[in-house]
Amino acid sequence: MNTPVDSPLGPLGAPVNLSRRRFLLASAGAAAGALVLGFGLPLGSARAQAATAAGQERGTQVPAFLEIRPDSTVRLLCPFMEGGQGTYTAMAQIVGEELDADPATFLVDSAPPGEAYVVMENGMRITGGSMSVRMSYPTMRRLGALARAMLLQAAAEQLGVPLGELSTEPGKVVHAASGRSLPYGELAERALDLPVPDPASVQLRDPSQFRWIGKPVRRVDAYDKSTGKALYTIDIKLDGMLHAAVQHAPRLGMTVGSLRNEAQVKAMKGVHSVHQLPGAVAVVAERWWHAKRAVEAIQVDWQEPGNDSPLRPMPADFSSDAYRERLASEQGPARDEENEGDVAGVLANAKTKVEATYHNQYLNHAQLEPPSALARFNPDGSLEVWLPNQAPDMFRDDIAKRTGLDAARITLHSPLLGGFFGRHFLYDSANPYPQAIALAKAVGRPVKLIWSREEEFLRDVLRPLAVVKFRAALDADGLPVAIEAVSATEGPTEALAGKQGDKIDPTALEGLSGKAYAIANKRIAQIYVKGPVMLGYWRSVGNSLNDFFYEAFLDELADKGGQDPYELRLHLLRDNQRLTNLLHAVGELSGGWKRGPFTAEDGSKRARGVAMASPFGSEAAVIAEVSIENGQVKVHDIWQAIDPGSIVNPAIIEAQVNGAVALGLSQTLLEEAVYIDGQPRGRNYDLYPILPPSRMARVHVRIVESGAKMGGIGEPPLPAVAPAVANAVARLTGQRIRSIPLSRYTFT
Amino acid sequence: MTHSRFARTAGWLALPCLVAAGLLAWYVTRDPASPFEAEQAARFDPALVSRGEYVARLSDCVACHSLPGGKPFAGGLEMATPLGAIHATNVTPDRDTGIGHYSLADFDRAVRHGVAPGGRRLYPAMPYPSYAKLSDDDVRALYAFFMKGVQPAQQANLASDIPWPLNMRWPIALWNGLFAANTPYAAKPDQDAQWNRGAYIVQGPGHCGSCHTPRGLAFNEKALDESGKPFLAGALLDGWYAPSLRADHNTGLGRWSEAEIVQFLKTGRNRHAVVYGSMTEAFNNSTQFMSDDDLAAIGRYLKSLPGDPQRDGTPWQYQAESVAAKLDNPGAHTYVTRCASCHGLDGKGQAEWMPPLAGATSALAKESASAINITLNGSQRIVAAGLPDAYRMPAFREQLSDREIAEVLSFVRGAWGNHGGAVGAQAVGTLRGHTDPASSSPIVLHMR
Amino acid sequence: MELRINQKTYEVEADADTPLLWVIRDDLGLTGTKYGCGLAQCGACSVLVDGSVVRACVTPVAGVVGREVTTIEAIEADSVGKRVVAAWVEHQVAQCGYCQSGQVMAATALLKHTPNPSDAQIDAAMVNLCRCGTYNAIHAAVHDLAAQQEGA
Repeated sequence: MNTPVDSPLGPLGAPVNLSRRRFLLASAGAAAGALVLGFGLPLGSARAQAATAAGQERGTQVPAFLEIRPDSTVRLLCPFMEGGQGTYTAMAQIVGEELDADPATFLVDSAPPGEAYVVMENGMRITGGSMSVRMSYPTMRRLGALARAMLLQAAAEQLGVPLGELSTEPGKVVHAASGRSLPYGELAERALDLPVPDPASVQLRDPSQFRWIGKPVRRVDAYDKSTGKALYTIDIKLDGMLHAAVQHAPRLGMTVGSLRNEAQVKAMKGVHSVHQLPGAVAVVAERWWHAKRAVEAIQVDWQEPGNDSPLRPMPADFSSDAYRERLASEQGPARDEENEGDVAGVLANAKTKVEATYHNQYLNHAQLEPPSALARFNPDGSLEVWLPNQAPDMFRDDIAKRTGLDAARITLHSPLLGGFFGRHFLYDSANPYPQAIALAKAVGRPVKLIWSREEEFLRDVLRPLAVVKFRAALDADGLPVAIEAVSATEGPTEALAGKQGDKIDPTALEGLSGKAYAIANKRIAQIYVKGPVMLGYWRSVGNSLNDFFYEAFLDELADKGGQDPYELRLHLLRDNQRLTNLLHAVGELSGGWKRGPFTAEDGSKRARGVAMASPFGSEAAVIAEVSIENGQVKVHDIWQAIDPGSIVNPAIIEAQVNGAVALGLSQTLLEEAVYIDGQPRGRNYDLYPILPPSRMARVHVRIVESGAKMGGIGEPPLPAVAPAVANAVARLTGQRIRSIPLSRYTFT
Repeated sequence: MTHSRFARTAGWLALPCLVAAGLLAWYVTRDPASPFEAEQAARFDPALVSRGEYVARLSDCVACHSLPGGKPFAGGLEMATPLGAIHATNVTPDRDTGIGHYSLADFDRAVRHGVAPGGRRLYPAMPYPSYAKLSDDDVRALYAFFMKGVQPAQQANLASDIPWPLNMRWPIALWNGLFAANTPYAAKPDQDAQWNRGAYIVQGPGHCGSCHTPRGLAFNEKALDESGKPFLAGALLDGWYAPSLRADHNTGLGRWSEAEIVQFLKTGRNRHAVVYGSMTEAFNNSTQFMSDDDLAAIGRYLKSLPGDPQRDGTPWQYQAESVAAKLDNPGAHTYVTRCASCHGLDGKGQAEWMPPLAGATSALAKESASAINITLNGSQRIVAAGLPDAYRMPAFREQLSDREIAEVLSFVRGAWGNHGGAVGAQAVGTLRGHTDPASSSPIVLHMR
Repeated sequence: MELRINQKTYEVEADADTPLLWVIRDDLGLTGTKYGCGLAQCGACSVLVDGSVVRACVTPVAGVVGREVTTIEAIEADSVGKRVVAAWVEHQVAQCGYCQSGQVMAATALLKHTPNPSDAQIDAAMVNLCRCGTYNAIHAAVHDLAAQQEGA
């Protein structure tokens, strides 16, 4: 294959199944030798090093990001991973706006690891926390503007006219005076040789002149994803590649003892070899199906973990239900995250007190693409890995650590993610790439390892479980004057990184903490309980549980105090214009707040619930309408008003709200990871059902642009869904909802 | 997971209450005679041990006496009964906790008569009423295997938690007197050797009747051989309906050839059915290891058992059905969305990989337990010749309500000529409460 | 065995019980058809066999010998499939996209058999799982296609 030497696809050639369109573009470019604001330079290449030498500001190494091809298509190496959230399109809009190139002419791929691609204001490079757009927005705009300046400069030289006489139209530089114009594709090579201008010298567009930012621009990947052309890690193929499947120890921490039937398995059709790995056995075969069947056939004598196990061993008697009971009985000590006013005093003297205990459930990520990884050692000893990830530099560094290879000798590719929702962070025990690398090394050929759905559910890290004890006091008017929430839980960050002294893991309590309601006396605290389950981040993280707890309890307070929950929220937010507006917006969107119960046109009895959340820099308000149908909760409509401050693509936001609502409904209605005897009961979608189409609600979205600092979009629409539904169900049935999922309740 | 496959103990555990005193004490505590009384510690030549291992396969000892992940034959399988749990015992040759101190005669009394040394009666969860038919040679071989082919494992037996006085065992002796055979299988002179071999395996070591023969009031099998019409006529046990193994057209083997019976027992599947429920354990641990000659003998014998058209009902015939036109029927709707990918819109399944539901015994038998159970809990992995199955039945208990399962099964049991009859939501709810989903991991029990 | 896939004939060496999915993906290299569960639960592997949708992960390959298999790679060669893809783009259905090959196949099969499906028929046909929650967009696209047909 005729791929340029400095292609990020690596020196030895590209995957053999690059889509035709992509391949043609790549080879056309290479053959013409004309493209070239860079070719997505892996760091360390001379060109990029020259760029960094100047000690530049973030996101200014234009050649590392952009390649403009002879046909003026723009290839952008995106610092963020695309997993459905639309970041490729958003980046094309943002860069295209300033570059003056239609986002439709963009071809976007994920950038390799490297300092050049650290573009977020917090100095990180991860795709998560709903941070991509909001944290890189000015930087990525400036990147587009810098590239445009280089093209203008190149045109000035080529046309021999003063820079000031030139302007751009989408995809070309225009010299109005002479009526001449040059497509970007013809300027790219010359532009490449120019130094990147001083970042301070470029002028960004006036937002009132935006053509693409803020508009419902079409996704750059919509067609490929509707025709099977989009490539995920699981799809990548290399010449000479073998396939691998694993069987994991039934409980994390167990080790391989003996294999009772290794010889028999080795003799099975298509089997190349049988391998023992830490906590797993693997079969390498010519085809994955053979590998999968053979590895299932291995009879392993699993050994109990030793005391020196580097993992968090799963006890043989672990039961998620029993563990929840244990959390409920935890007495402390608790550490305060928030403590204002005099909670204890007010509670002691209150005439009306409300107490309640809430809990949630463990969850799997259950993204549709099972994890896989493809590893190849090149003849020069360098290593290439294709793998799903949300943080390429962290993964590359981890691979360097595991293999002892210098990071510069590791090429990391990040294909599209078949969903992630927090699944593809660096989880020590839950990623297939260490196994793929070990197998590729062992067999001396490229190896693609796919975890079967069952192996994925066995090793996935879980969304945390919490039991929260609330106490609150109401004044004579029935209004809350004190609230206390003590959560017995472990946050995902402290589970992954270890407990950090006395510091509270913000991901444990977010959603209990940070509430905007004007309640003068409040205490939010955590009883840290280190559990036996490996935890991870799940879309909207702590907010996914904590907003349910808080907002459902707030409805309890409203009922106890004889308040309407919508009016109560308005009252508690009376000094907060932004949230007051948002609550009005969702009320209006739903046709005016009405709590019910009422009889709908179809004769069903229904009620509505309201809830709010302030996650990831955005604000959200949700109203849900429910009925009970055949003993099950039916959610008819979700109205959501969301205020991310300002926006880039309203169509993608609407899609993200739909998606977050679906996941929110899934965890509210039916989803839970149940462990019995140390093992997950559900290892496929049969016993771990996720929301099916029949249980989706209609979703109505209103985007409110308050002009506040830009917030996130991928996660914020999720947390308020569960409490809005729970509050509606409580209203409809008179049954208090203090836990999710609702499938654990009986409704008549 | 709780093993509830021995709820069959329920019936006879009630016996202590029913049978009053007054019967002769000697009768209930005596040691039955054994032909091996005088036989001293036999020489265990390897051929005998290996023959014994085969008898252990025929008898499926491992299914109860081994646990997944445990030492072979060290016992421990919990059998839930309404009165409390009992546990299969350690039958390794460990002298302290196993049967290492058993003489051949002791062993014989336990296997064929259900009497342990000291006269203690075994619960007939141990299928000694069938094993009673084992030949002397097979008992001797089996003993050799358990003494020399099995590794001693020190593992104390778990006491049952059945309370006094229900835990008194002497009344079982009376039950034995009434219901258990006490002589080895005697060949029928009017039948040929193959038939007799088949009859021997089915009635004796194979103990097919334990599941497939209906039971009487005292939980006794209503017949122990072909002389009784109820023999292998189909029975409900532990949430599964073990269908008729007689020539019944609808609910038995009437439509199966001898070769198809052999294929089923050898590979776990044929064009009519795929093993599931309790039969998976019998297949995984026992029938697939039987020799081709023995399987042929079983096929021959089973095909000689006449059906009962009156019990069996109108012979099933395939009738085409336009499922797609019935989407307003909630059962048909569920079938189309959940079942048709594998079992087909025409109900015919896919070759021998996904069984047909058209004409399936589970859709023709009046008892709907098997249909409900497999739908709620999915199938255990079938492991044939060491290779776990390519396809398995998912569990629908977390996705479908009692009512939805009742609706879809009522549809299946009324479509394509099936006439098993409707299923009620309550029956689904009852089984849901008593059962657990099948594991998605293959379970292989070891004999060595 | 000989397979007909996307109007081409392939000679494939595979065991009779190999799922069609893995023959398509690994032997023929057509990776648009996705593995999601292997248990007929998600529908990401949906393909057409003689114009009807099947889940390739639970279709033993021997069963499709002599039949015409269509995968997502050839979907636009089908006039209904082409319209479905256009509607998918128009409605911007895809998010992560992993399930969408299967969704497009399911919609195509539905509309080939039933150009103007009822709500019940749509509900019975469009049951594939989507973790990104594109259900409403799928619903809108299919309704749109059904309405187009009605108007045509």
